[in-house]
Amino acid sequence: MQKAAILNANDVSKSYKEFFALSEVTLEIREGEIVSIIGPNGAGKTTLINVLTGLFRPTAGTVYFKGQDIGGIGPQKLTKLGLARSFQLLQIFPEFTTLEFIKIAIVSRQGKGINLFSSLDKDKGLNGESEEIINMFGLYEKRNVLSANLPQGDKKLLDIASALALHPEVILLDEPTSGVSTSEKNRIMDILLSASQRTGVKSIVLVEHDMDIVFSFSDRIIALHQGRVLADCTPAELEKNEEVVCTVMGQKECFQTFDSLLNRESGERNRHDA
Amino acid sequence: MILRSLMKGKILVGIMAGLILLFLPRIATEHITFVMLGVFGFTLAVLGFNFLFGYLGLLSLGHSLFFSLGAYTVAFSMRQSIFSMELIILITILVSGLVAILIGAICVRYTQIHFSILTFAFAMLFYSFLIKFYFVTGGDDGLRVLTPHLVGTNFADVPKMQFLLREYYYYTLTVTGLTTWVLWRIVKSPFGLTIRAIRNNQVKSEYLGISIWKYRWATFIISGIYTALGGALMAPVIGNVDPSLAHWFQSGSLILMTLLGGFAQFVGPVLGALIFTYLQDFLMSALHYWRFVFGALLAFVVIVAPEGIMGAIDSFLKKIKGGV
Amino acid sequence: MITDIVGLLAGALFYSATVFLVAAGLQVIYGVQRVVNLACGSFFVLGAYMGTTFVTVSQNLGLPPILSLIPLIAAGLSLFFVGLIIETCLLRFVYKQDVHFQFLLTYAIALMLDDAIKYFWGSSPRVVQKVYTVYGQIDIFGATIPNYNIVVVICSCVIAILIGYMFTRTRFGIIVRAAAENPDITNALGVNMKVVFAKVFTLGTVLGTLGGALVIPSRAAMPDMGWELMMMSFAVITIGGLGTMRGAFFGSLLVGIVRSITIFVVPQLELLIIYLIVIAVLVIRPQGLFLNAD
Repeated sequence: MQKAAILNANDVSKSYKEFFALSEVTLEIREGEIVSIIGPNGAGKTTLINVLTGLFRPTAGTVYFKGQDIGGIGPQKLTKLGLARSFQLLQIFPEFTTLEFIKIAIVSRQGKGINLFSSLDKDKGLNGESEEIINMFGLYEKRNVLSANLPQGDKKLLDIASALALHPEVILLDEPTSGVSTSEKNRIMDILLSASQRTGVKSIVLVEHDMDIVFSFSDRIIALHQGRVLADCTPAELEKNEEVVCTVMGQKECFQTFDSLLNRESGERNRHDA
Repeated sequence: MILRSLMKGKILVGIMAGLILLFLPRIATEHITFVMLGVFGFTLAVLGFNFLFGYLGLLSLGHSLFFSLGAYTVAFSMRQSIFSMELIILITILVSGLVAILIGAICVRYTQIHFSILTFAFAMLFYSFLIKFYFVTGGDDGLRVLTPHLVGTNFADVPKMQFLLREYYYYTLTVTGLTTWVLWRIVKSPFGLTIRAIRNNQVKSEYLGISIWKYRWATFIISGIYTALGGALMAPVIGNVDPSLAHWFQSGSLILMTLLGGFAQFVGPVLGALIFTYLQDFLMSALHYWRFVFGALLAFVVIVAPEGIMGAIDSFLKKIKGGV
Repeated sequence: MITDIVGLLAGALFYSATVFLVAAGLQVIYGVQRVVNLACGSFFVLGAYMGTTFVTVSQNLGLPPILSLIPLIAAGLSLFFVGLIIETCLLRFVYKQDVHFQFLLTYAIALMLDDAIKYFWGSSPRVVQKVYTVYGQIDIFGATIPNYNIVVVICSCVIAILIGYMFTRTRFGIIVRAAAENPDITNALGVNMKVVFAKVFTLGTVLGTLGGALVIPSRAAMPDMGWELMMMSFAVITIGGLGTMRGAFFGSLLVGIVRSITIFVVPQLELLIIYLIVIAVLVIRPQGLFLNAD
């Protein structure tokens, strides 16, 4: 029995004059799922994310979150509804310390921003929760470091941590492991998953290029190509679908992952032969 | 370790400054004390300006509107036979708050440079209004400001200068100190954190659920009120309010003070107000082409040291800290 | 009735022609350098005062008043060195800085220019005699229109065409347009951006000084006349949007007409009108220049 869809796009198209960034995209994100969106650069992943997070209004079609039409309502309102996002191109607060970075997310969530006179430093609850989250992400020692001075991987974690501090129901992560070393990637994913669980996230949407990550962690994979949904199935089903594999991964950018997929396939074949 | 001694250093400087201010009428010349009265007014004005600029990142080229509004409110109140300074301050807060709500609602929806030009236009509109509607505002000549009553006491029998240098000095010092403390609290509050977030990264702020223009609006209102309060405190000192207080040149003064002292620190603009006011007093009597010097100074600060004196001190201290 | 309309239009066109030159200067500088030149009004005033000097001198040298257009244009052009010096000695140091600081520097420049003008010419208004009247008047549908106004409008149009030609047909113009579109690539292609910026800024300021010089016969040169024009130019750029001279052209027309109509209908508000128009424009149509400035 499939769980309820918490976020869905129905026949969404997004065009700029004659160019269609997205064409008739229909997809669902259900409760309790981890869904990855893959596709070569230019396939429309970022546009899709922007439409799903209410930043762009679709030219055609609708996007629903928890049963509400969120087309173009803007990130601020959407965040309040329970959908958060992290960024591929880092968005940080350069002058904030790690601690302040998480604090502002919590302050926003609790609606405390209108407090003109209460002291931030003396708010024990706020401090406690901020430190807890920072701890989850392994950044406790760096809690007083300016976020601009953190290494790339930690900046990514901070971006994700602040999104999770909002206690969203659904979180959309735009290439959370890009720009970090391979060993870091798994660390980030592990932290991400355990923190999501602890903060009560119901569904995770990942936009990813790294196929190892995608195949290891996803319940379902949605493959985009030239603005259309090419496949929407489990990792196992996707592997068997050679046409999709070739189209999606046969692009120049994905040679490495294509190889790794080939190795996996030939590894399986060897197992079968043996 | 070094940090702690730096903190102690800051506290020490603060205490010394406080003591000097407290005893200034006794230890300094009449002239120096008189100029300090101007520093108080400008302090509030400039703190208001920088709340918008340094903390939120919006450059208002028209804060002279609020400064003059505060000053004219004092003059007007007295024309209506209201002499109680406390009541006048309250009226100033209400009037400037209302004006800030209205103008802010229009201005804060727009982007940075756009915002600056809009505020400039509003200030010049107000300036033109002050000149044109002379039957209400006194036109070019302005309005006289009489001696206010402080805490219910009428000082009519005290010579004006003595009143200013003693009773009014301590009154203004107290009011300035209190309101500055209030603003400090605001800066350190969740509200202050939120507007700093908006300045650092507007996109990320929105994605954290922060409503950008609401905070801009609120900041604009607080900023306008503070600058108006500064103008109101200055009014009895100047003795006569005229349209030049609303001119873009006055806005420029506030900006120069802020940049000179340092916009990234809370006390930066205050330091700038202090230096600027004494400098202006000294140079204005000596130079005819004051605007040129002013412009050159602004240009110098912008090109060479945009972070101002406090900023330079901060960088210097950081270098020491980093070197250890 | 027709008389009123014709008179109104004539006044509007004259004002538009003046604003156009300042706005074009602003546009050129912003388009390429992304700098908003708050001092554009001051350059206008500079041109105006210099215009009075050139005309007075030339009249003393025996030049017939009807040829005053020559010294006026010469005055405008001769001030190119001011813009050049300002760009090379001051402005170029802030290109890498936050947009607010560039803005504030041009503000500081405006302050310095204003006092410099006062130093050289004093703060009283200055007029040139005889020139305006010597061109005579023309009667159109009962409205009396000074011929000099028409001369100014023609000059403005000629300058607009020349600039248009320069941008589309000359090598310099193509380089400038490339620099406006993509400074990095233009730089990589071997164009010396420093030189381009210096030339562009100079051009922008000269348009302002020319505008100031040209209006001189019709009004007195006064210290504060610049700020009004600066504000109007911003309104024009906002209406016209970023990118083309056409925008500045039509924006100026619109602004001139709206101003004339408003003054005709509510003359008491003359001083305030300008700022009200600017506010209205900035509020109603914020696209173009300023959305891109973020």
